[in-house]
Amino acid sequence: MKILLVEDDPEVADYVRQGLQEERHHVATVSDGREALFRASGEDWDLLIVDRMLPQLDGLALVRTLRAAGIGTPVLFLTALGGIDDRVAGLDVGGDDYLVKPFVFAELIARVTALGRRPRLLASETLLVVGDLEMDLLARRVTRGDVEIQLQAREFSLLEYLLRHANQVVTRTMLLESVWDFHFDPRTNVVESHISRLRGKIDKGHEVELIQTVRGAGYRIRAPE
Amino acid sequence: MRSSLSKRSAVPGIAFVRLSRLFRTSSFRLTLIYAGLFAVSAIILFGVIYWTTASFMEGQFDASVGDELNEVLGDAGGGGADSLRVVVLSSVRRDQKGWFYQMKNAAGEVLAGNLPTPARFNAVGEQRDGRRTVTIASRGAAIRGSELRLADGGTLFVGADSSQLMRTQALVARSFSIGLCAVLLLAIGSGAVISHRLIRRIEGISRTSSEIMAGDLSRRIRIHGTDDEFDHLAVGLNAMLERIEKLMSGLREVSSDIAHDLRTPLSRLRHRLEIANRRGETIEELHEAIDGSVADVDAILDTFGALLRIVQIEGGSRRAGFASVDLGELLHTMIEVYQPVAEEKGQGVTGEIDSFLLVRGDKELLTQMLANLIENAVCHAPNGTQIKLRGSRRNDGIEVQVSDDGPGIPEALRGKVFQRFYRIEPSRSTTGNGLGLSIVAAICALHEVDIDLADNGPGLKVSLLFRPQSSTFTARSLGDIQWNACGALAFGTAGASLPVDDVGRPRSARPLGLRRVRCKFASRVRRAR
Repeated sequence: MKILLVEDDPEVADYVRQGLQEERHHVATVSDGREALFRASGEDWDLLIVDRMLPQLDGLALVRTLRAAGIGTPVLFLTALGGIDDRVAGLDVGGDDYLVKPFVFAELIARVTALGRRPRLLASETLLVVGDLEMDLLARRVTRGDVEIQLQAREFSLLEYLLRHANQVVTRTMLLESVWDFHFDPRTNVVESHISRLRGKIDKGHEVELIQTVRGAGYRIRAPE
Repeated sequence: MRSSLSKRSAVPGIAFVRLSRLFRTSSFRLTLIYAGLFAVSAIILFGVIYWTTASFMEGQFDASVGDELNEVLGDAGGGGADSLRVVVLSSVRRDQKGWFYQMKNAAGEVLAGNLPTPARFNAVGEQRDGRRTVTIASRGAAIRGSELRLADGGTLFVGADSSQLMRTQALVARSFSIGLCAVLLLAIGSGAVISHRLIRRIEGISRTSSEIMAGDLSRRIRIHGTDDEFDHLAVGLNAMLERIEKLMSGLREVSSDIAHDLRTPLSRLRHRLEIANRRGETIEELHEAIDGSVADVDAILDTFGALLRIVQIEGGSRRAGFASVDLGELLHTMIEVYQPVAEEKGQGVTGEIDSFLLVRGDKELLTQMLANLIENAVCHAPNGTQIKLRGSRRNDGIEVQVSDDGPGIPEALRGKVFQRFYRIEPSRSTTGNGLGLSIVAAICALHEVDIDLADNGPGLKVSLLFRPQSSTFTARSLGDIQWNACGALAFGTAGASLPVDDVGRPRSARPLGLRRVRCKFASRVRRAR
């Protein structure tokens, strides 16, 4: 992926750039808001990673300007501003995701992957398939092989999220935010419990386990090659 | 020497400053303007009255003089100058006190009369029917009378002592001037008194605010109990000061919390790194130390984040984004979320929830509040515990209960569990940073929710009461609020419950007490707009 990283702290910028390059992304770094505006509007990018507190032009204004100019490149805010209202402000101006510093690198990678230019699932797409698992969004029906699987509403949303990000790692926090709308860190293992329930229904009795745990990162639904 | 000099000059200096400040006050200037206007109108009024009175008195006087003149003419009976002279002489002889007569021939020689000489005639007004009114000032006497030009070219004058008339007129004028002075003095005096009182109260406010600026945050502006604009201002300012003090003390508390409670994990981290640096020999040992340190840092960041969140919640800025939240729906979601978690511990989560439990609030924070309470039960109660969520409508609001049949909290400690970093197990063996219930308390305070911990016999029962007068109650927008104010009249019959439809409007009855508070709330909000 071709990523523009807008970050004024050189140490953080190096850390993020190296990490993303290890994941085979192409990363360009700019350190102030105005230059970021020129480069973001002048070149073609797959993703912008934007700090909020920037010299010249702050991150919020940068993204607002880009959106007003009709540039729809996905934006991930990566910022130390972690207040309750800050995330809402970031998403309001047109950011697609919001990650607060300090962050675990696996979390950043997972979110970058989720936002990146992928064979985008069309909104009209109604059938999600991984291996022999099929989810029909219109009939709200899930089958594995020939067997229909009964899921509760929230289990259905959880599986839908995993399937929409098939073959990608999704973190615990991403699931909490998207499936449960929890924007805080619960002390109990909410995600683990629900995943294990879902596994009980999807993978139990099957030789191939579709839902995999990625140690230190999260979960991934993937069919074996 | 110099000091005594400056002292002497300082006193009148202060007096001058205070006086000049008095003159500068807008209320005093207003008083002066009013006093001036009042004086002008009083002068006009007095002038008109004086003029009317004076001319009335003069008219009376002139009329009686005219009568006497007619009488003299009548007595003469048209018998020419000689008989007229006889009548004048006899009138003079009668020596009526205060009456004066004079008859002159065409040459201006006095034929008869008792008018003191020399007498200078001052004509007053026009000549009419050959008569004119004249005044004579001579040797201290004031005479006013009527002079008639006779057919032979001579004149006949009949007049009377007018000093009484003038004295009366002067008296009236003097009383009016005294009255005017009194009015002016009164106006200026009361203006000064009113201004002085206003200045005193305003100075009281500015004195209090400078004391607060100097650091005494507990100071408040005195309320005089007169329920005037100043009291209203003082009440408003005091409420603001209250809030500032609370925020400041919150900030102070957090700072000291950070200083005390983050010191321990930070020093633990330091020890770990130091030991690894000194004794770590193999790569594995170093990796282990690094992993442990990262975990320590995560825990510290976690605590830090929770503290920041508490401060932000206590800051109250979230209140601006309050919207209608269905607590019933939220409780159902929480059961669904936590059932699997509880089941892993052999516990159960059940609910008993009424529908349409609408409150005004921040959904994200209310979710966290319920999550923290449920997690508290899940983490601290043993296997086999039943956790129960209850949501019900009551006369005085909407009540949410989270109860369990675990070990509970001893009564003596119930007040303490909301304190930051307070944990019942001193060993701190279980996970958690001791901030979960502090966050709950902060969210409750933000939503003006009454929180109560009670014995569930056995176990703990946490009750949250969302009161209708709090800003958390139903109304979604100003339109709704206004509707509440009017709707209260329409639905103002006594009732026991609060049936509301999906936008929080009552379906039928509404208790009387509630009606009042709602109206009050509605008007408050309208004022705020």
